[in-house]
Amino acid sequence: MRWLTDPLSAPFMQRALLTALALSIAGGLLGVWIVLRRLAFFAHAVGSATFPGLVVAGPWGIAPQLAALVAGLGFAGLLTRVTRSGATSSDAATGLLLAGALALGSVLASDVYRSGAGVDRLLFGTLLGLGDADVWLALAVALVAAAATAALARTWLATGFDPAAARALGVPAGRGDWLLLALLAATVVAVLPAVGALLVSTLLVVPAATARLLTSSLGSLLATSVALAAAESVTGLLLAYHLDLPPGPAIALVGGAVFALAALAAAAPWRRGARARVAA
Amino acid sequence: MSAPAREPAARLEVAGLAAAYGASAPALREVTFAAHAGQAIAVLGSNGGGKTTLFRALLGELPPVTGTVAIAGTTAYVPQTERSRLDFPVSALDVALMGAYARTRWYRRVAAADRALARAALERVGLGEQVAERFGALSGGQRQRVLVARALVQDAAVLLLDEPFAGVDAMSEDAIMRILDELRAEGRVLLIATHDIEQARRWDRVLCLRGEQIAYGPPAQTLTTAVLEATYGAEIVLLDDGTRAVAVQHHAH
Repeated sequence: MRWLTDPLSAPFMQRALLTALALSIAGGLLGVWIVLRRLAFFAHAVGSATFPGLVVAGPWGIAPQLAALVAGLGFAGLLTRVTRSGATSSDAATGLLLAGALALGSVLASDVYRSGAGVDRLLFGTLLGLGDADVWLALAVALVAAAATAALARTWLATGFDPAAARALGVPAGRGDWLLLALLAATVVAVLPAVGALLVSTLLVVPAATARLLTSSLGSLLATSVALAAAESVTGLLLAYHLDLPPGPAIALVGGAVFALAALAAAAPWRRGARARVAA
Repeated sequence: MSAPAREPAARLEVAGLAAAYGASAPALREVTFAAHAGQAIAVLGSNGGGKTTLFRALLGELPPVTGTVAIAGTTAYVPQTERSRLDFPVSALDVALMGAYARTRWYRRVAAADRALARAALERVGLGEQVAERFGALSGGQRQRVLVARALVQDAAVLLLDEPFAGVDAMSEDAIMRILDELRAEGRVLLIATHDIEQARRWDRVLCLRGEQIAYGPPAQTLTTAVLEATYGAEIVLLDDGTRAVAVQHHAH
């Protein structure tokens, strides 16, 4: 029991747990839409695309969260623009813009501002050293993600199910998509300080992808995804505290292990009959 | 098979319509026809001939470059089922309920009356037993019937059906044919995009498109060798000395 309660007495751990739970709500809910709409690469790319914003934040004297948010939203906006004509596929455009953003960030970091701090924050995150702004941002995106899922679930479901038919159903498909990408960018920015850019999928993709193996209705998918994200990040944090591991990678490893177990369970012989019936 | 004569007012009236994607040249020009309550119109043409463009213009997704579209009531689109994501976590009922999304305010749940309506619509297309089945697990024909049920929930006055019989088993084909006849009897207008010239002869009117309107009228008078050749160009194969025709489609996408 002390194994559980000891960490909770430390203020920095309370702050980390609160943030992790808030991010689990945001990441778990939006993760379902990321997985259903095949936006995992986009989510990953937005994280890395905040790089130039983080590099200039210090020298320009702006909050890193704000700089990252502007860079992330700019990335999402540019992507929508590039793919609108249909000439460039979404994943090719994402790769293109991702390379551009990383290159710009590297040039700025090495030649212009000689800054190493932005790079550290970008890559690794610091769940055990969060500032007030990080905690507030996490709580804000949790609230907005919950509200948006309640208000827009039907739009996102119908648009993802069949984009060509969605408008004919009277669903605001274009506005819904734009809002989803913007909200995703904001959530990625909120997740960055916790797990780092290279591991945003830990909270935004892994729990939802695991839930997808276990359940097949939208409501239970959303609930399972949030519950898995919360359980995995709390477990990862406790392991990090006791074993002196970096928290982001610890959460990522727990999430990966849970996914592997779920995949094994889904493929188990006693479930194969049920799956075959569904697929027939 | 002829349209009820007692309702003279056109439900759907298209006059001098041209539609384009963005700033490019019109993909479809000079379309003029009127459909009365209860009429079913086969829309013929090769791929890229303008069937999809016409549907999108009728749905209001492509504003007319020139001309007008007047529709009394709502328009529903019944897409081909392979266009939808079969791995989505939606049941047959969930898909039918999408027909009620337009009248559901964003902060409310779908109304109980609409849920009852969706169940009744699925019942009507013969899928009362499959309400809770995952959409992707149904057969192609059953999925097509779910999409027709969704249009019923929309209570559309005009239904645009994209190849409703493509890849459909015989039982579903009968069920779809029966429900389409019922919809005509209720005074709804059906536009049925099809590659099947024989099937087109079954409906009240045919509309032949090839970038522009080639012909419009009752099948017997309209589906002449000359019209079919103008519609399909080299893709047409005439059988039995020109009394039967088969369009050879090259699916390039």
